Amino acid sequence: MANVLLVDDDQDLIEMNKTLLEQRGHTVLVAYSAAEALQVVQANRPDAAVVDVMMEKQSAGFDLAHQLHAQMPELPMIILTGIRKEMQLPFKYEPDETWLPVTKVLEKPVNPRILADEVEKLLAAKK
Amino acid sequence: METLNILVVDDEHGMRHGAERVLRDFSLRLPDIDGEVRFAISAVASGAELEERLATDMPPDILLLDHKLPDTTGLEILDRIGPRTLDLLVIMITAYASLETAVAATRRGAYDFLAKPFTPEELRGAVRKAARHLILQRQARRLAEEKRKVRFQFISVLAHEMKAPISAVEGYLQMIRERALGESLEAYDRIMDRSLIRIDGMRKLIADLLDLTAIESGQRMRNLTTVDLNEAARQAVENVKAEAQQRDIRIELDVPPGLILEADRTEIDMIFNNLVSNAVKYNRDQGRLRVSADRAGDAIRIEVQDTGIGMTSEEASRLFNDFARIKNEKTRHILGSGLGLSTVKKLVTLYGGEVSVTSRPDAGSTFAVTLAGSTWQPEPTKPSETP
Repeated sequence: MANVLLVDDDQDLIEMNKTLLEQRGHTVLVAYSAAEALQVVQANRPDAAVVDVMMEKQSAGFDLAHQLHAQMPELPMIILTGIRKEMQLPFKYEPDETWLPVTKVLEKPVNPRILADEVEKLLAAKK
Repeated sequence: METLNILVVDDEHGMRHGAERVLRDFSLRLPDIDGEVRFAISAVASGAELEERLATDMPPDILLLDHKLPDTTGLEILDRIGPRTLDLLVIMITAYASLETAVAATRRGAYDFLAKPFTPEELRGAVRKAARHLILQRQARRLAEEKRKVRFQFISVLAHEMKAPISAVEGYLQMIRERALGESLEAYDRIMDRSLIRIDGMRKLIADLLDLTAIESGQRMRNLTTVDLNEAARQAVENVKAEAQQRDIRIELDVPPGLILEADRTEIDMIFNNLVSNAVKYNRDQGRLRVSADRAGDAIRIEVQDTGIGMTSEEASRLFNDFARIKNEKTRHILGSGLGLSTVKKLVTLYGGEVSVTSRPDAGSTFAVTLAGSTWQPEPTKPSETP
């Protein structure tokens, strides 16, 4: 059906989301760091991406979202953040064309089934 | 060395001058305190001038406060400054035979009183008492603050690092509950195994954090004995034997018998265990590991060498930080709390030593630890400045 890119440094979170998305017939590409994600996007054009906000660096996911948006402005993205009130980052987490160019922000933990539903919403909207 | 500011509040010139003369070359050595305490004396002649002085950013540490002032009384001043929680002590100077005033003063927060006329020795005695009390009070406050900070950091870090494994286990449990992989139980074996591994990781993290906090807050009871380093090294190798054998990793031990050090055995074990277990974890199958130790002058030098995945100099520069985990494709499947090496570094500091690493990617790493010999004395602990 579609190519979905998952970016997260936790191999179990990748594993469970990959399993469910594949069950629904999608092809899943994975990356465990921002650098890997950019390489994967060079080689393949995903139809949607899910990015964890914090990987090897506190703002890694946030920066990656910007870079991906620059490379592929039409790529719908979901960004996964830590629980809002705990995040001591000074900026807000609302989708915004210039500030946070993603389609949706979801707070972790996200039930893998719900994440797969949200990814499919992104894909449906794209068509 | 510490200098305390004494402010004399008295409208009598003779008194101001006299106090300055008696105290200016006065110095103390206090038993619990490192270094000398000296005094800087200044003076004001009225309540109004005192208020001015209290408003500056060089407030006094000790007030020598006369009861009779042109614009107010010492007791009134005590009433005024009492609720302000200033970090100073007041020695009230009272007229002769005025026990009432003295009692009233101490009731209003004065630390001590001196009845006029008093001798230089009596003045110095009162200042000595007040200085000691003030310094110890400040030390206690600083220690309490530091302890609070360490505890807060511990809890914040614990919360942060636990989130990922908790999310992972929760996600897996949700999959099981929703029968995401079908009705057959075997289909869930892998995710149940992964859940148990993540939980084990959480337990290790808690244990490592407790060790680290105990070391940092000085809460661990150290038991210094004569530690046989050959034996400690042997024990560390024994602890990893099973895993090493499974992966066909050869271990070489080169520590002379009779190599001893005055140390806490648990701390030495922690140093060896961390380095040796890393050397196995990050090694390649059929690789080699060498643990060696020897005297280097008055110090002890320990080396743990492996033929493992190694690291870049950038990775090496971060290695000893708390929770530093080098994340790349080679390390992805290796579990750890990221605290082992930062703990080693903190422990090694207790012995006046250092830990360092030399490494080449894909060739291996060598960790070197020096521990100072028995002639090394730790610096007497000063009350540290709050960072």
